Amino acid sequence: MVRFSASLLLSIIALSACTTNVVVEGTVPTPLVAKIPADVGVYYDERFRNFVHTEAIREEGTWNIDLGEQNLSFFRKLTRAMFKSVVEVNSPELTEEQKSELDGLVIPRIEKYGFLTPGISGLKFFSASIHYRIIVLNQNNENVAEYVVVGYGKSEAGLFGSGDALGEATMLAIRDGGTRIAIELSQQPAIVAWLAQREGAD
Amino acid sequence: MRAIIVMLLLTLVLTGCVTARIEQSRTANTGIRSNDALVILGRASYNDRETEESFTECLSDELSKGPNSIRLIPEDEFKDSLYPWFEPRTAPDSSDDLAQLFAQPGVQDRITASNVRYLAWIDGDTITVDKGGSFSCTISTFGGGCFGVTYWEQDASYEASIWDLQNLTTAGEISADANGTSYLAGLILPIPILARPGNAACKALAKQLREFLITGTL
Repeated sequence: MVRFSASLLLSIIALSACTTNVVVEGTVPTPLVAKIPADVGVYYDERFRNFVHTEAIREEGTWNIDLGEQNLSFFRKLTRAMFKSVVEVNSPELTEEQKSELDGLVIPRIEKYGFLTPGISGLKFFSASIHYRIIVLNQNNENVAEYVVVGYGKSEAGLFGSGDALGEATMLAIRDGGTRIAIELSQQPAIVAWLAQREGAD
Repeated sequence: MRAIIVMLLLTLVLTGCVTARIEQSRTANTGIRSNDALVILGRASYNDRETEESFTECLSDELSKGPNSIRLIPEDEFKDSLYPWFEPRTAPDSSDDLAQLFAQPGVQDRITASNVRYLAWIDGDTITVDKGGSFSCTISTFGGGCFGVTYWEQDASYEASIWDLQNLTTAGEISADANGTSYLAGLILPIPILARPGNAACKALAKQLREFLITGTL
Protein backbone atom coordinates (compact mmCIF):
# COMPACT_ATOMS: atom_id res chain seq x y z
CA MET A 1 0.00 0.00 0.00
CA VAL A 2 2.83 2.30 1.00
CA ARG A 3 4.71 1.38 -2.18
CA PHE A 4 1.60 2.03 -4.28
CA SER A 5 1.05 5.45 -2.65
CA ALA A 6 4.67 6.42 -3.14
CA SER A 7 4.64 5.48 -6.81
CA LEU A 8 1.33 7.30 -7.29
CA LEU A 9 2.79 10.37 -5.62
CA LEU A 10 5.89 10.21 -7.80
CA SER A 11 3.72 9.86 -10.90
CA ILE A 12 1.67 12.91 -9.90
CA ILE A 13 4.83 14.93 -9.26
CA ALA A 14 6.30 13.83 -12.60
CA LEU A 15 3.11 14.68 -14.48
CA SER A 16 2.59 18.05 -12.79
CA ALA A 17 6.20 18.96 -13.55
CA CYS A 18 5.34 18.69 -17.25
CA THR A 19 2.22 20.86 -17.01
CA THR A 20 2.29 24.64 -16.99
CA ASN A 21 -0.84 26.29 -15.69
CA VAL A 22 -1.16 29.84 -16.96
CA VAL A 23 -3.41 32.26 -15.14
CA VAL A 24 -4.14 35.37 -17.14
CA GLU A 25 -3.86 38.49 -15.00
CA GLY A 26 -3.58 42.19 -15.61
CA THR A 27 -5.40 45.45 -15.39
CA VAL A 28 -8.79 45.73 -17.08
CA PRO A 29 -9.10 49.28 -18.39
CA THR A 30 -12.33 51.04 -19.29
CA PRO A 31 -12.20 52.15 -22.94
CA LEU A 32 -12.38 55.84 -23.67
CA VAL A 33 -14.64 55.77 -26.74
CA ALA A 34 -17.86 57.42 -27.90
CA LYS A 35 -20.86 55.30 -26.94
CA ILE A 36 -22.95 53.65 -29.65
CA PRO A 37 -26.48 55.05 -29.11
CA ALA A 38 -28.21 51.72 -28.51
CA ASP A 39 -29.55 49.77 -25.54
CA VAL A 40 -28.30 46.22 -25.98
CA GLY A 41 -28.32 42.86 -24.34
CA VAL A 42 -25.06 40.88 -24.22
CA TYR A 43 -24.97 37.10 -24.14
CA TYR A 44 -21.80 35.31 -23.00
CA ASP A 45 -21.99 31.56 -23.62
CA GLU A 46 -20.40 29.00 -21.30
CA ARG A 47 -17.34 28.55 -23.52
CA PHE A 48 -16.69 32.29 -23.45
CA ARG A 49 -17.21 32.55 -19.68
CA ASN A 50 -14.89 29.66 -18.83
CA PHE A 51 -12.49 29.49 -21.76
CA VAL A 52 -9.47 27.27 -21.09
CA HIS A 53 -7.01 26.32 -23.80
CA THR A 54 -5.10 23.07 -23.27
CA GLU A 55 -2.33 22.04 -25.60
CA ALA A 56 0.41 19.46 -25.35
CA ILE A 57 3.66 20.42 -27.01
CA ARG A 58 6.37 17.87 -27.56
CA GLU A 59 9.39 18.52 -25.36
CA GLU A 60 7.59 21.38 -23.59
CA GLY A 61 4.79 19.50 -21.84
CA THR A 62 1.16 20.48 -21.48
CA TRP A 63 -0.03 24.06 -21.24
CA ASN A 64 -3.31 25.04 -19.60
CA ILE A 65 -4.22 28.65 -20.28
CA ASP A 66 -7.24 29.87 -18.35
CA LEU A 67 -8.44 33.17 -19.77
CA GLY A 68 -12.14 32.85 -18.95
CA GLU A 69 -12.43 35.12 -15.92
CA GLN A 70 -10.11 37.89 -17.12
CA ASN A 71 -11.59 37.82 -20.62
CA LEU A 72 -15.14 38.04 -19.25
CA SER A 73 -14.24 40.88 -16.91
CA PHE A 74 -12.59 42.74 -19.80
CA PHE A 75 -15.62 42.31 -22.11
CA ARG A 76 -18.04 43.45 -19.41
CA LYS A 77 -16.15 46.74 -19.12
CA LEU A 78 -15.70 46.99 -22.88
CA THR A 79 -19.39 46.59 -23.74
CA ARG A 80 -20.52 48.91 -20.93
CA ALA A 81 -18.20 51.61 -22.30
CA MET A 82 -19.27 51.03 -25.92
CA PHE A 83 -23.08 51.11 -25.72
CA LYS A 84 -25.60 53.51 -24.17
CA SER A 85 -26.80 50.74 -21.86
CA VAL A 86 -26.03 47.06 -21.48
CA VAL A 87 -27.79 44.18 -19.74
CA GLU A 88 -26.51 40.62 -19.61
CA VAL A 89 -29.04 38.07 -20.87
CA ASN A 90 -29.21 34.30 -20.42
CA SER A 91 -30.14 33.29 -23.93
CA PRO A 92 -28.71 33.88 -27.44
CA GLU A 93 -32.11 35.25 -28.46
CA LEU A 94 -34.07 38.14 -27.02
CA THR A 95 -37.33 37.27 -25.26
CA GLU A 96 -40.54 39.16 -26.10
CA GLU A 97 -40.12 41.27 -22.95
CA GLN A 98 -36.47 42.06 -23.80
CA LYS A 99 -37.47 42.99 -27.38
CA SER A 100 -39.56 45.83 -26.00
CA GLU A 101 -36.66 47.18 -23.90
CA LEU A 102 -33.59 46.53 -26.02
CA ASP A 103 -32.45 47.58 -29.49
CA GLY A 104 -30.45 44.44 -30.11
CA LEU A 105 -28.24 41.67 -28.83
CA VAL A 106 -24.45 41.36 -28.91
CA ILE A 107 -22.87 37.90 -28.73
CA PRO A 108 -19.08 37.77 -28.40
CA ARG A 109 -17.48 34.38 -28.98
CA ILE A 110 -13.96 33.02 -28.85
CA GLU A 111 -13.38 31.08 -32.06
CA LYS A 112 -9.76 30.14 -31.59
CA TYR A 113 -6.80 30.67 -29.31
CA GLY A 114 -3.20 30.00 -30.26
CA PHE A 115 0.23 30.60 -28.80
CA LEU A 116 3.90 30.25 -29.64
CA THR A 117 6.73 29.64 -27.22
CA PRO A 118 10.34 30.74 -27.91
CA GLY A 119 11.13 27.03 -28.33
CA ILE A 120 8.73 26.83 -31.29
CA SER A 121 9.19 30.25 -32.89
CA GLY A 122 12.92 30.68 -32.28
CA LEU A 123 12.20 34.24 -31.14
CA LYS A 124 12.75 35.60 -27.64
CA PHE A 125 9.03 36.19 -27.11
CA PHE A 126 5.96 34.26 -26.08
CA SER A 127 3.09 35.27 -28.34
CA ALA A 128 -0.64 34.65 -28.22
CA SER A 129 -3.55 35.27 -30.57
CA ILE A 130 -7.29 35.17 -29.97
CA HIS A 131 -9.90 35.02 -32.74
CA TYR A 132 -13.11 36.66 -31.56
CA ARG A 133 -16.40 36.59 -33.45
CA ILE A 134 -18.80 39.40 -32.59
CA ILE A 135 -22.42 38.76 -33.62
CA VAL A 136 -24.96 41.58 -33.50
CA LEU A 137 -28.68 40.77 -33.71
CA ASN A 138 -31.49 43.27 -34.07
CA GLN A 139 -34.65 43.47 -31.96
CA ASN A 140 -36.22 40.64 -33.99
CA ASN A 141 -33.22 38.34 -33.41
CA GLU A 142 -32.15 38.80 -37.04
CA ASN A 143 -28.45 38.88 -37.82
CA VAL A 144 -27.26 42.48 -38.36
CA ALA A 145 -23.52 41.91 -38.47
CA GLU A 146 -20.84 39.31 -37.85
CA TYR A 147 -17.36 40.58 -37.31
CA VAL A 148 -14.17 38.56 -36.76
CA VAL A 149 -11.38 40.24 -34.79
CA VAL A 150 -7.93 38.85 -34.08
CA GLY A 151 -6.12 40.10 -30.98
CA TYR A 152 -2.38 39.60 -30.76
CA GLY A 153 0.06 39.97 -27.88
CA LYS A 154 3.65 39.13 -27.11
CA SER A 155 5.84 39.24 -24.03
CA GLU A 156 9.55 38.92 -23.46
CA ALA A 157 10.52 35.46 -22.29
CA GLY A 158 13.32 36.71 -20.08
CA LEU A 159 11.28 39.02 -17.89
CA PHE A 160 8.97 36.46 -16.30
CA GLY A 161 8.70 32.74 -15.79
CA SER A 162 7.35 31.01 -18.90
CA GLY A 163 3.81 30.81 -17.46
CA ASP A 164 3.82 34.47 -16.48
CA ALA A 165 5.18 35.53 -19.88
CA LEU A 166 2.46 33.62 -21.73
CA GLY A 167 -0.16 35.02 -19.33
CA GLU A 168 1.11 38.54 -20.10
CA ALA A 169 1.06 37.84 -23.87
CA THR A 170 -2.51 36.53 -23.57
CA MET A 171 -3.64 39.60 -21.61
CA LEU A 172 -2.11 41.81 -24.32
CA ALA A 173 -3.98 39.76 -26.94
CA ILE A 174 -7.27 40.38 -25.08
CA ARG A 175 -6.47 44.12 -24.93
CA ASP A 176 -5.56 44.17 -28.62
CA GLY A 177 -8.79 42.43 -29.60
CA GLY A 178 -10.69 44.89 -27.40
CA THR A 179 -8.92 47.80 -29.07
CA ARG A 180 -10.18 46.74 -32.48
CA ILE A 181 -13.71 46.07 -31.24
CA ALA A 182 -13.89 49.40 -29.35
CA ILE A 183 -12.72 51.43 -32.34
CA GLU A 184 -13.95 49.50 -35.36
CA LEU A 185 -17.34 48.02 -34.42
CA SER A 186 -19.21 51.32 -34.62
CA GLN A 187 -17.65 51.94 -38.08
CA GLN A 188 -18.84 48.67 -39.61
CA PRO A 189 -21.23 49.50 -42.50
CA ALA A 190 -23.81 46.98 -41.24
CA ILE A 191 -23.80 48.56 -37.78
CA VAL A 192 -24.03 52.08 -39.22
CA ALA A 193 -26.99 50.98 -41.36
CA TRP A 194 -28.66 49.28 -38.36
CA LEU A 195 -28.30 52.42 -36.22
CA ALA A 196 -29.63 54.61 -39.05
CA GLN A 197 -32.60 52.25 -39.53
CA ARG A 198 -33.32 52.39 -35.80
CA GLU A 199 -33.21 56.19 -35.79
CA GLY A 200 -35.55 56.23 -38.77
CA ALA A 201 -37.96 53.90 -36.97
CA ASP A 202 -37.86 56.15 -33.87
CA MET B 1 35.26 30.80 1.28
CA ARG B 2 38.22 33.01 0.40
CA ALA B 3 37.93 31.98 -3.24
CA ILE B 4 34.29 33.06 -3.31
CA ILE B 5 35.12 36.46 -1.80
CA VAL B 6 37.95 36.94 -4.33
CA MET B 7 35.60 36.03 -7.16
CA LEU B 8 32.94 38.46 -5.96
CA LEU B 9 35.51 41.25 -5.68
CA LEU B 10 36.82 40.46 -9.14
CA THR B 11 33.29 40.60 -10.53
CA LEU B 12 32.79 44.01 -9.00
CA VAL B 13 36.15 45.35 -10.14
CA LEU B 14 36.37 43.75 -13.56
CA THR B 15 33.71 45.47 -15.57
CA GLY B 16 34.07 45.58 -19.31
CA CYS B 17 34.80 48.77 -21.18
CA VAL B 18 31.82 50.54 -22.76
CA THR B 19 31.89 53.48 -25.14
CA ALA B 20 28.76 55.61 -25.40
CA ARG B 21 27.76 58.41 -27.78
CA ILE B 22 24.88 60.86 -27.40
CA GLU B 23 23.40 63.08 -30.10
CA GLN B 24 20.61 65.60 -29.73
CA SER B 25 18.48 67.66 -32.05
CA ARG B 26 16.09 70.28 -30.73
CA THR B 27 13.14 71.76 -32.63
CA ALA B 28 11.38 73.65 -29.83
CA ASN B 29 11.99 75.28 -26.47
CA THR B 30 11.22 73.15 -23.45
CA GLY B 31 10.75 73.69 -19.73
CA ILE B 32 9.10 71.67 -17.03
CA ARG B 33 7.33 72.89 -13.87
CA SER B 34 7.28 70.85 -10.68
CA ASN B 35 3.73 69.61 -11.23
CA ASP B 36 4.28 68.79 -14.92
CA ALA B 37 4.75 65.12 -15.66
CA LEU B 38 6.63 63.07 -18.23
CA VAL B 39 5.55 59.69 -19.59
CA ILE B 40 8.16 57.33 -21.00
CA LEU B 41 6.70 54.92 -23.55
CA GLY B 42 8.53 52.04 -25.22
CA ARG B 43 7.66 51.84 -28.91
CA ALA B 44 5.94 48.47 -29.37
CA SER B 45 5.82 46.56 -32.61
CA TYR B 46 4.55 43.24 -33.88
CA ASN B 47 7.93 42.09 -35.16
CA ASP B 48 10.59 40.28 -33.15
CA ARG B 49 12.44 43.43 -32.06
CA GLU B 50 11.13 46.10 -29.74
CA THR B 51 12.33 48.30 -26.90
CA GLU B 52 12.93 46.21 -23.79
CA GLU B 53 10.73 46.97 -20.78
CA SER B 54 13.87 46.86 -18.63
CA PHE B 55 15.29 49.82 -20.59
CA THR B 56 12.27 52.09 -20.09
CA GLU B 57 12.18 51.08 -16.41
CA CYS B 58 15.86 51.99 -16.09
CA LEU B 59 15.17 55.41 -17.68
CA SER B 60 12.25 56.01 -15.30
CA ASP B 61 14.39 55.10 -12.29
CA GLU B 62 17.18 57.44 -13.37
CA LEU B 63 14.90 60.39 -14.10
CA SER B 64 12.84 60.11 -10.93
CA LYS B 65 15.82 60.32 -8.57
CA GLY B 66 18.35 63.00 -7.75
CA PRO B 67 18.06 66.74 -7.11
CA ASN B 68 16.42 67.55 -10.48
CA SER B 69 13.98 64.65 -10.41
CA ILE B 70 11.13 64.69 -12.90
CA ARG B 71 7.58 63.64 -12.05
CA LEU B 72 6.83 60.50 -14.04
CA ILE B 73 3.53 58.82 -14.76
CA PRO B 74 4.03 55.03 -15.07
CA GLU B 75 3.61 53.70 -18.60
CA ASP B 76 0.93 51.13 -17.67
CA GLU B 77 -1.12 53.69 -15.73
CA PHE B 78 -1.00 56.14 -18.65
CA LYS B 79 -1.94 53.48 -21.22
CA ASP B 80 -4.82 52.20 -19.07
CA SER B 81 -6.23 55.68 -18.48
CA LEU B 82 -6.20 56.37 -22.24
CA TYR B 83 -7.11 52.87 -23.45
CA PRO B 84 -7.41 52.09 -26.40
CA TRP B 85 -5.46 55.05 -27.83
CA PHE B 86 -1.89 54.10 -26.88
CA GLU B 87 -1.99 50.39 -27.77
CA PRO B 88 0.51 49.03 -30.34
CA ARG B 89 -1.98 49.30 -33.23
CA THR B 90 -3.44 52.71 -32.28
CA ALA B 91 -0.58 54.73 -30.75
CA PRO B 92 0.20 57.89 -32.74
CA ASP B 93 3.21 57.52 -35.03
CA SER B 94 4.16 61.18 -35.00
CA SER B 95 3.25 64.37 -33.17
CA ASP B 96 1.25 65.36 -36.29
CA ASP B 97 -1.30 62.72 -35.20
CA LEU B 98 -1.76 64.32 -31.76
CA ALA B 99 -4.44 66.79 -32.88
CA GLN B 100 -6.52 63.92 -34.26
CA LEU B 101 -5.98 61.95 -31.03
CA PHE B 102 -6.97 64.91 -28.86
CA ALA B 103 -10.23 65.15 -30.81
CA GLN B 104 -11.31 61.75 -29.43
CA PRO B 105 -13.85 62.06 -26.61
CA GLY B 106 -12.25 62.42 -23.19
CA VAL B 107 -8.61 62.13 -24.31
CA GLN B 108 -7.60 65.75 -23.81
CA ASP B 109 -9.41 65.93 -20.45
CA ARG B 110 -7.56 62.87 -19.14
CA ILE B 111 -4.17 64.20 -20.26
CA THR B 112 -4.87 67.64 -18.80
CA ALA B 113 -6.07 66.15 -15.50
CA SER B 114 -2.86 64.16 -15.07
CA ASN B 115 -0.65 67.17 -15.98
CA VAL B 116 1.29 65.18 -18.56
CA ARG B 117 3.33 67.78 -20.42
CA TYR B 118 5.77 65.57 -22.33
CA LEU B 119 5.81 62.11 -23.90
CA ALA B 120 9.16 60.46 -24.57
CA TRP B 121 8.86 57.63 -27.10
CA ILE B 122 11.78 55.25 -26.79
CA ASP B 123 12.72 53.21 -29.81
CA GLY B 124 15.66 50.79 -30.06
CA ASP B 125 17.19 47.72 -28.51
CA THR B 126 20.38 45.98 -27.47
CA ILE B 127 21.70 43.27 -29.76
CA THR B 128 24.70 40.95 -29.75
CA VAL B 129 26.75 41.79 -32.83
CA ASP B 130 29.64 39.38 -32.38
CA LYS B 131 30.59 36.45 -30.18
CA GLY B 132 33.28 33.82 -30.08
CA GLY B 133 35.80 31.86 -28.04
CA SER B 134 35.45 28.61 -26.20
CA PHE B 135 34.57 27.98 -22.58
CA SER B 136 33.71 24.83 -20.69
CA CYS B 137 33.26 23.68 -17.11
CA THR B 138 33.78 20.13 -15.86
CA ILE B 139 32.90 18.45 -12.62
CA SER B 140 34.01 15.00 -11.50
CA THR B 141 34.59 13.01 -8.33
CA PHE B 142 38.13 14.44 -8.20
CA GLY B 143 36.94 18.04 -8.39
CA GLY B 144 36.08 20.43 -11.18
CA GLY B 145 36.92 23.64 -12.92
CA CYS B 146 36.35 25.93 -15.86
CA PHE B 147 38.75 26.60 -18.72
CA GLY B 148 38.80 28.84 -21.77
CA VAL B 149 37.70 32.32 -22.76
CA THR B 150 34.50 33.43 -24.43
CA TYR B 151 33.40 36.91 -25.44
CA TRP B 152 30.34 38.67 -26.80
CA GLU B 153 30.05 42.19 -28.17
CA GLN B 154 26.78 44.06 -27.68
CA ASP B 155 25.50 47.19 -29.33
CA ALA B 156 22.81 49.27 -27.62
CA SER B 157 21.11 51.82 -29.84
CA TYR B 158 18.15 53.89 -28.61
CA GLU B 159 16.37 57.04 -29.68
CA ALA B 160 14.02 59.22 -27.64
CA SER B 161 11.49 61.34 -29.49
CA ILE B 162 10.10 63.99 -27.15
CA TRP B 163 6.61 65.30 -27.81
CA ASP B 164 5.19 68.41 -26.18
CA LEU B 165 1.52 67.71 -25.40
CA GLN B 166 0.79 71.36 -24.63
CA ASN B 167 1.89 72.62 -28.04
CA LEU B 168 1.22 69.33 -29.90
CA THR B 169 4.69 69.36 -31.45
CA THR B 170 7.92 67.37 -31.42
CA ALA B 171 10.33 69.18 -29.10
CA GLY B 172 13.36 67.19 -30.20
CA GLU B 173 15.16 63.90 -30.46
CA ILE B 174 18.01 62.36 -28.52
CA SER B 175 19.89 59.25 -29.57
CA ALA B 176 22.20 57.12 -27.42
CA ASP B 177 24.54 54.47 -28.76
CA ALA B 178 26.76 52.31 -26.58
CA ASN B 179 29.02 49.44 -27.46
CA GLY B 180 30.91 47.02 -25.24
CA THR B 181 32.46 43.58 -25.14
CA SER B 182 31.99 41.18 -22.25
CA TYR B 183 34.34 38.31 -21.43
CA LEU B 184 34.03 35.13 -19.44
CA ALA B 185 37.40 33.65 -18.57
CA GLY B 186 37.83 30.28 -16.95
CA LEU B 187 40.90 29.66 -14.80
CA ILE B 188 39.51 26.94 -12.52
CA LEU B 189 36.95 29.53 -11.38
CA PRO B 190 34.83 31.39 -13.94
CA ILE B 191 35.72 35.09 -14.02
CA PRO B 192 33.13 37.31 -15.71
CA ILE B 193 34.16 40.71 -17.04
CA LEU B 194 30.84 42.21 -18.02
CA ALA B 195 30.20 45.26 -20.14
CA ARG B 196 26.68 46.63 -19.87
CA PRO B 197 26.07 48.82 -22.94
CA GLY B 198 22.29 48.85 -22.34
CA ASN B 199 22.81 50.28 -18.87
CA ALA B 200 25.36 52.80 -20.16
CA ALA B 201 22.95 53.93 -22.90
CA CYS B 202 20.16 54.25 -20.33
CA LYS B 203 22.20 56.44 -17.98
CA ALA B 204 23.52 58.63 -20.80
CA LEU B 205 20.07 59.05 -22.34
CA ALA B 206 18.46 59.82 -18.96
CA LYS B 207 21.06 62.50 -18.20
CA GLN B 208 20.60 64.15 -21.58
CA LEU B 209 16.81 63.90 -21.44
CA ARG B 210 16.75 65.59 -18.03
CA GLU B 211 18.91 68.47 -19.30
CA PHE B 212 16.84 68.70 -22.47
CA LEU B 213 13.57 69.12 -20.55
CA ILE B 214 14.80 71.37 -17.74
CA THR B 215 17.15 73.79 -19.44
CA GLY B 216 16.00 73.73 -22.99
CA THR B 217 16.11 76.67 -25.36
CA LEU B 218 16.83 76.70 -29.06
